[in-house]
Amino acid sequence: MPSIRIVVCAKEVPDPDAVNSYAVAGRLEIGDDGKTLTQTAIPRLMNAYDEQAIEAALRLRDAGAECRIDVVTAGRDAASLLRHAAALGADEIAAIDVDASAIDYHVAARLLAAYIETTGGADLVLCGRQASDDDQGVVPALIGERLGMPLITVARDVQLADGSAVRVTRVTPDGDEVVEAACPAVVTVSSELGPPRYPTARQTMAARKKQATVLSPGELGVGDEEMAPRVELVRQFVPEIHGNCEMVTGETAVEQAANLIAAFRESGVLS
Amino acid sequence: MSAVTACTWGAGSNETEELLTLARKLSSDGGGEFVWAVVGPADAAALQETAGKHGVTRIDRIESAALESYGADAYVEALAAYCEQREPSKLLFSQTFDARTVAPRLAGRTNTPVVMNALDLASGDEGRLLVTASAFGGDTRAVYRVAGDRAIVCVMANAVAAEPAGTATTPAIERVDVTPAGDERVRVVEAARTEGPRLEDAQVIVAGGRGLGDAANFALVQQLAEALGGMAAASRPIVDDGWTDAAKQIGLTGKIVRPALYIAAGISGASQHMAGCAAAKTIVAINRDPDAAIFRYARYGIVGDCVELLPELTKQVGR
Ligand SMILES: Cc1cc2nc3c(=O)[nH]c(=O)nc-3n(C[C@H](O)[C@H](O)[C@H](O)COP(=O)(O)OP(=O)(O)OC[C@H]3O[C@@H](n4cnc5c(N)ncnc54)[C@H](O)[C@@H]3O)c2cc1C
Repeated sequence: MPSIRIVVCAKEVPDPDAVNSYAVAGRLEIGDDGKTLTQTAIPRLMNAYDEQAIEAALRLRDAGAECRIDVVTAGRDAASLLRHAAALGADEIAAIDVDASAIDYHVAARLLAAYIETTGGADLVLCGRQASDDDQGVVPALIGERLGMPLITVARDVQLADGSAVRVTRVTPDGDEVVEAACPAVVTVSSELGPPRYPTARQTMAARKKQATVLSPGELGVGDEEMAPRVELVRQFVPEIHGNCEMVTGETAVEQAANLIAAFRESGVLS
Repeated sequence: MSAVTACTWGAGSNETEELLTLARKLSSDGGGEFVWAVVGPADAAALQETAGKHGVTRIDRIESAALESYGADAYVEALAAYCEQREPSKLLFSQTFDARTVAPRLAGRTNTPVVMNALDLASGDEGRLLVTASAFGGDTRAVYRVAGDRAIVCVMANAVAAEPAGTATTPAIERVDVTPAGDERVRVVEAARTEGPRLEDAQVIVAGGRGLGDAANFALVQQLAEALGGMAAASRPIVDDGWTDAAKQIGLTGKIVRPALYIAAGISGASQHMAGCAAAKTIVAINRDPDAAIFRYARYGIVGDCVELLPELTKQVGR
C-alpha cells in the first residue's frame, strides 16, 4: 500500500467546561473591548473534536495504513497545542504565523488550504466537526471547496479502503449512515468517535524536542488582500435566562411525584 | 436589486415558517425583495400558500433531473448557479443537518461570507448585515458584522417564533434554469434507517443524564416516556458512554426539540444541552443538587433522586 498523507487541522479554544462553570455561576464576563471573554482563569486547550480528528488519524495508522500525519494550526502562540499533537504521534507540526484573533474563519480556511497545497497536498484532511468557542464549523467545508475535495461531516468512524478511498460512518439525525468517497477528501470528526488517547510520559518528553514548522501567509502564497476578515466579531454578551421555577416539594419521592402530577393537572400540562 | 432570499430543499422543514419570518423581518429592515428559493421537488400550491401567508414577493423554483432526490453536490452546484444568475444579497437557510454542510460549501464555492448558528439578523450601519449567533454552546451570544453586501446565514431552530405577515401576498412563481451534473462524489453505502417517530415531533420528552448513575437506569427514563405517551432522550455524556444511542442526544450537537413537556432527570443544564431543549413549553427538572443550572430554565423543579422519582412518576401517571 502506498504511503498517504493525512493533514489534521487543529485549533486552541478556552476550556469549554471551565466556560460552562463560569456561566453557571453567573461569573462569565466580557472584557472592556465588549467582545472577548475575560478568561485569565480559563485554561486553553486543543478543541476536543480536533483532538478526536487526530485520534481518527492515529487509528488509521494503528490499523496498518502507511501514513504520514501532519497537524497544522492557523495562529501563533500554539506551542502547547502543537507539542500535544507531537506527543500523540504527529510526524510534522506546523503553525501559520498569524494573529488568530485578527482573522476570520474564511481567512483561516484559506491559510490552511494553502498550507496543504504548498506542502505536497493531502490524501485525507481531518478536522473536528466544529470548535467549541464559536461553534461555527465552517472551516472544513471552506477548505474542501478551496481544494476541490468532497466533504464528509460528523464521522464516528473513518476507514481507508485500499488507500484510495475513505469510508466513513456518519452520525445523522436518522441514525448511522455509511458513505464512501475517493481520496483526497475532507472528513470532520464528531465526539461519537470516542475518547482520544493520552500520550505516554515518554512521548510527552520526546515531543518537547520536536520543532514546529512556522510558515507566514506570504510563504504560503496568501497575499495581504486575502487576509482581511469579512466576518468580524463586534460584540459578545452573556444572555440572560429568565427563570421562574416553582419548586415541587414533598417529604418522600411518592409525595413529590404526586405533587408534580397535581401541578401538571392544574396548569393543563397533562390533562 | 438586493434580495433577501430564504432557501429550502423542497418545501423545507419544521422550521421553514420561522425562517420566512426572520427573512421578512430582515427584508423590511433593509429594503429589497423577499424571495423564497425552493430547490428540488415541492407541491406548488402548498408553497404558494405558505409563501403568501408570510409576505414573500417571489418564489424561485430550482428544479432539474439531478435535483429529483437530495444530493449535496448537486444542491451546492445548483445554488451556485442560481446565485450567479440572481445575485441574492442575503441567502438564509434553516440550520438543518444537511444545511450545515451545504451552506458553508456554497459560501466557499461562491466566495461569500457565511455565519452559522444565527438567532437574529439586523441591518446595521451602511446596510452591513449584523448577525447575532450563539457561541460557546449558548453560554454567550456573538454579534458578527459581515463585510460587503452578500452573505449566507444559517438560522438555528427556534431562533424566532413563526408569525404570518401583516398583509398576505400572492407571490409569483419563477423557474430558474440550472443543470447540475448530479454525480455525487460521496456515495451512500448504507443509508441511515429512520426509526419510527422523530424527537423533533414529540410532544412529550423525558431525558436522562449522568445523574441516572448507571446505564441500566436509562430504562426508568424510557418507562416514564412510555407512560406519558412520549419519547426518551439523553444528554451527551450518557450517549458517549453507550447508555443509549446517539440518535437520542439532545443539544447543540444533537437534536433541537420543542415539545410541550420536557422532563430532564439527572441533567445539570449545561448550555450545550439546553441549546437543544430550551424552547420546550414546560421544562421539569429533577436534580439532586438544588443549585443545578437546569432549575434556571425549568418551570417546575424537584430536588431529589431521579432514580427514585422516575419509577414513582411512572406509577402515578399510569393511574
Ligand atoms: C462543543 C460541545 C458540544 C456539546 N454538545 C452537547 C450536546 O449536544 N448535548 C449535551 O447534552 N451535552 C453536550 N455537551 C456537553 C455539555 O457541556 C455537558 O457536559 C453535558 O450536557 C452534561 O451532561 P449531564 O447533565 O448528563 O451530566 P452532568 O453535568 O455530570 O450532570 C449530572 C447532573 O445530575 C445530578 N445528579 C446526580 N445524581 C443524581 C440523582 N441520583 N438524582 C438526580 N440528579 C442527580 C447532578 O447534580 C448533576 O446536576 C457539549 C459540550 C461541548 C464542549
